[in-house]
Amino acid sequence: MTKHWICRVSDITAAEPLIVTVNSIQIGVYLVNDRIVAWRNVCPHMAAPVCRGTISGTTLPSDVYTYEYGRDGEVLQCPWHGWEFDLLTGHHLAAGSRARLRGYRIEVDGNDVFIHTVT
Amino acid sequence: MASGAENQVSIIDADVHNSFGDLAPYLPRVWRERWRRVGGGVGGIHEGNPRGVARRDATPPGGGAAASDPEFLIRDHMDRYGIDYAILTGPGGLSLGPDPDYSNALARAHNDCMIEEWLPVSSRFKGSVLINSDDPQSAAEEIRRVGGHPDMVQVVMASASRSPYGQRQYHPIYTAAEELALPVAIHPGTEGSGLAWPPTPVGYPTRYMEWHNILPIGYMAQINSLVCEGVFEKFPSLVFVGIEGGLAWLPHLMWRMDKNYKALRDTTPWLKRLPSEYIVEHVKLTTQPIEEPSVPGHFAKILEMMHADRTVMFSSDYPHWDNDNPALILRNLDDDLRTRIFSSTAAELYGLNTKPSADIHPRRGRPSVTGSRESGATYQDLVE
Repeated sequence: MTKHWICRVSDITAAEPLIVTVNSIQIGVYLVNDRIVAWRNVCPHMAAPVCRGTISGTTLPSDVYTYEYGRDGEVLQCPWHGWEFDLLTGHHLAAGSRARLRGYRIEVDGNDVFIHTVT
Repeated sequence: MASGAENQVSIIDADVHNSFGDLAPYLPRVWRERWRRVGGGVGGIHEGNPRGVARRDATPPGGGAAASDPEFLIRDHMDRYGIDYAILTGPGGLSLGPDPDYSNALARAHNDCMIEEWLPVSSRFKGSVLINSDDPQSAAEEIRRVGGHPDMVQVVMASASRSPYGQRQYHPIYTAAEELALPVAIHPGTEGSGLAWPPTPVGYPTRYMEWHNILPIGYMAQINSLVCEGVFEKFPSLVFVGIEGGLAWLPHLMWRMDKNYKALRDTTPWLKRLPSEYIVEHVKLTTQPIEEPSVPGHFAKILEMMHADRTVMFSSDYPHWDNDNPALILRNLDDDLRTRIFSSTAAELYGLNTKPSADIHPRRGRPSVTGSRESGATYQDLVE
């Protein structure tokens, strides 16, 4: 594993991701509920630049003909097909799908944010 | 003529939606206020795509609608994926509106804008003649007016129609297309809008997802009609292209039609062959939105059943939300079938047998709108 400094904590906002490039790979760094997470900017479905998608909430699983909106700020919608991903786990929010975003371990030391990559 | 691998066409994309923007400069003065009020729309029946139809990352850097900038379209899509030719389909079809004169004017404006602003930019662009199929005689006139342009390679019309497209009232379209050696394509999107029938025989789907899921039902109805009405006997060189309507239902349709033909052929005595044989010879479907079964091998079997080496052409649908990435779809096919689907079937159909020039000629400026000042009223101003 290699540790890379990527930014300061204060550089990241909940409104939009900070896109960084590590080893020529684009990674979106998100602030979600005071947690920093990092996802590769490639959708596992059609390789779209997923980090250009909208950060939103979604309708939660519910009974027939009931709608409950929730998880605001915790869902990333791909800018192509609209696949929804859980920003905290990377999982695709569709029953039966095993797709997930490629994630990276984040380490925070004071105001410095580091990312760990395999190489 | 040059030959060899370096001159082989790589990918032909059979469905790219260039956006024309404001067509007022191409419309006669009498229609411009209606255009400003309602555009091409005649009222939809579902809520629209909740994500928006255009891909959110395809907006040109200078602003404007996705795919409204020819040079950005080439860079963002064609160069990125190694696509030699894009068959430009514009809006794909016109909604069935009540006023044929307005719909015919819209068709002419789209085609004039295609010829003026898009086709001269790059020889990698090939155009589709948009027609108002609901007025077949005028549609035939429009095909004859612009279909001889060397870079117009097909006719395109809405997949939603008032009657099945095989019926005789539509034959003037096929007469004109056959005269000019142009395939006739259909494209979805207007199902259930304006004067169109409900998108299914059991009524209106509740939401966009349901509407989108069931679009192939209309394609089945159109191909069924074209074959049974004898269109391909009457127009033996006509090719019909089903854009964006799916693929996997075609084997079912062919088998069911063949079974019924064996019992009921006396009701269509003009058919000289099995219905499926007409389909394989005269019908082509485009790949996007490609079906994604959980067992990928199932799709290869379907391709075999539908004679995909003759009936299937790659399309992306750029810049729309459900576009397919040519680098990621159809990866597990043998090389010959891949070549058929990604290039050679379309190359034969559209006459694109050699690599195009990469030269780009900047778009000409828009003609200025002249004449008396127009009302700025919006549709909402007028209906509320």
